[in-house]
Amino acid sequence: MTSTLQRTPRAAITRTAATNRRRKAFAPYMFLIPAIGILLFGLGYPVIWQVVTSFQKYGAMQQLGGQAPPFVGLDNYIAVATSPEFWGVAIRSIVFCVVTAAITLVIGMLLALLMTAIGKASRLTLQIGLLLAWAMPVVAATTVWIWLFDRRRGAVNYLLDLIPGVDMNRFDWLGTPSTFFIVASVIIIWMSVPFVAFSAYAALTQVSEEVLEAAALDGAAGWQRFRSIIFPTIRPVIAIVLLLQLIWDLRVFTQITILQDAGSRSADFDLLGTYIYKSGVAGLDFGQGSAMALFVLALTIALSWFYIRSLLKEDKQS
Amino acid sequence: MMKSKLGALALITASAIALAGCSSGAAGGEAASGFDAAGAKGQDITFWVMGGDTPQELRDYLISEYKAATGGTLTIEEQSWGDALTKLTNQLPDAKNTPDVTEIGNTWSPTFTNAGSFTDLSPIYDDLGGDKLLKSFVEVGEVDGKQYALPYYFGSRYITYRKDIWDAAGLTVPTTLDEFNDDVAVLKTSSQSGFYLGGEDWRNGVSWTFANGGELATKDGDTWKSSLSDAKTVKGLEQFQQVFSDASNAPVTEKDSTPWVNINNDRDGAAPEAATMIAPGWAHWSVGDFTGDKVDDAGQVVLDANGAPVETRTWNDATFGVFPLPGNDGKPAPVFAGGSNLAISKTSTKQAGAKELLRIVFSSEYQQMLGKNGLGPANTDEVSSLGDDQFATALIDSALHSKLTPAAPGWAAVEGKSYLEEFFGKVAAGGDIKALAKEYDEKIDKIING
Repeated sequence: MTSTLQRTPRAAITRTAATNRRRKAFAPYMFLIPAIGILLFGLGYPVIWQVVTSFQKYGAMQQLGGQAPPFVGLDNYIAVATSPEFWGVAIRSIVFCVVTAAITLVIGMLLALLMTAIGKASRLTLQIGLLLAWAMPVVAATTVWIWLFDRRRGAVNYLLDLIPGVDMNRFDWLGTPSTFFIVASVIIIWMSVPFVAFSAYAALTQVSEEVLEAAALDGAAGWQRFRSIIFPTIRPVIAIVLLLQLIWDLRVFTQITILQDAGSRSADFDLLGTYIYKSGVAGLDFGQGSAMALFVLALTIALSWFYIRSLLKEDKQS
Repeated sequence: MMKSKLGALALITASAIALAGCSSGAAGGEAASGFDAAGAKGQDITFWVMGGDTPQELRDYLISEYKAATGGTLTIEEQSWGDALTKLTNQLPDAKNTPDVTEIGNTWSPTFTNAGSFTDLSPIYDDLGGDKLLKSFVEVGEVDGKQYALPYYFGSRYITYRKDIWDAAGLTVPTTLDEFNDDVAVLKTSSQSGFYLGGEDWRNGVSWTFANGGELATKDGDTWKSSLSDAKTVKGLEQFQQVFSDASNAPVTEKDSTPWVNINNDRDGAAPEAATMIAPGWAHWSVGDFTGDKVDDAGQVVLDANGAPVETRTWNDATFGVFPLPGNDGKPAPVFAGGSNLAISKTSTKQAGAKELLRIVFSSEYQQMLGKNGLGPANTDEVSSLGDDQFATALIDSALHSKLTPAAPGWAAVEGKSYLEEFFGKVAAGGDIKALAKEYDEKIDKIING
């Protein structure tokens, strides 16, 4: 009797728990449906259109004249793959994005470390400054940067010219691809550093003070503490910030377009974003533009793959 | 609730009006493709103008005249030249977003007319001026003898020079192109361009090609072929390369920009960047002595797209002068005609209202208003409204010999891909003209036929 009495409630509890668990397992999917629906509708449709278009001849006659676009198989892909100009732009874009993202990350992390080291007042000043840079509209900021680098009246040339032995009078920063991309990189780094700095700073606040103190007592120097304690703790945050920077810098468009308006419109000054726009939209060849855009999508997925795989691995371990 | 009722009421009223329009149109025996004044009643339409070339006074006139003619509202939306091609491409096919009437760069016309984006205007062509409309602009908007885009206004490029600097160097106005090339080379110093010409500025640079009888592309039967490698074109390109290196301090990467800022003394009186420049006729409003910042009615300083104050400039005959770029045959050199065409979007649901707007644009009053503002009127009978001052003379002289870009279906794509900026830039940088011409002929041939 006593045993049944004891057993019944336990069984009841288990049953309720099981139903709860089942309900719990079901509910999250329900909540996901609207989000997935919106994603599929918002992202799926353009991607499908793009995939279809990349196999079609889709030019002015199709876009403006309403003619049915004929399917041309892999023609667009072959044309893109055999174009040395496209590969030039693609390689340039990858180098540009890796270098820019790496420098952004280093400067951002240094600023974050600085924030942990300085007093409250200076930290607030620094944070407000970074926030302002982050909040500045891209077009406005890029325009001001163009003024700074202006050939005739720019502050950069003026200041460099003051250095004895340096002749930068009327140096045309936007005139050659190499200096053009240095300017572009500086602008993009300036715009992206705040995000990296804030993310890294937030992560740094999670580093355990006790562990650091113990390490210091054991005689670990600054660099050793950073390498063995701080960096492993903030690594997940840094990894995702780096991934986001890489993706953003690969797709950079606005800054390059505005710089091209002030400088050259030649393809030597293009990155993938502007090149695809120029050939696909302005050049009225939507088919080839789509094929190139899908190449960039594949590139982005390839870049993200390493990150997603390491995420999955960490998931399994925990 | 109230709103939707009102909306429904408006819809019913609108359809009633539209139906009424249909019936009266039918009663008049007028085909839908002609004018339909009754159908236009109460139609609210949108007109896209490109850049700031159409002055405010003219816009106000169009809006009030349109209201008087139809009772409807005309909304004028200004598009920047840089984005216009893409916006037109995206919005013309879409009945919900299309402008009803649009200004269009004349060099883009063939792409859109061949694709069928515009309404056939041949039924009203004669009423709007017919043969009197500027021929080269009409032709660029024609397909199979039917007019789909008509001229809006023309401009032409001519030379503006610093009399003071030319006089000091003992130079007089040149009468041949060779003489011009030599003169501007003499005037170049390290801080002053003898002639300010951007390397990628093909719209001005092409004048040297035209002057030597060269063409950008030629039509053989039904197909267009890029003709950069043609001997005459190459000769012109060699001269362009020479002038650029001998006379211009402008960067290779400089495009069709705002050359007039270089010929003015700056606002503090500092020496100009250049002794000579070439620009479309309307540039003379921006050339002269600095006479303060432009202020609007409310007393606010007017800012340009870059946020800098707009300067007012007053022409000074003692300092500045104009002349058409001379050719080597005693006539002005053929320059690239500036200007625009007008067209009605085929997908527009307000064809009747759109046509009423064209009727106003091509009226004698409006054509004369264009002329008085320095824009070459579409109707050649009204050219006298440009006046007979030095600007009008230089404009008309150079316009008489001006040329348009090839009327090829794929020309907008050629411009969209910036092939010519690239090509002229590479030539200006001292590249091998024949090799470059061959390379870009191949690139352009791939897309010039649409």
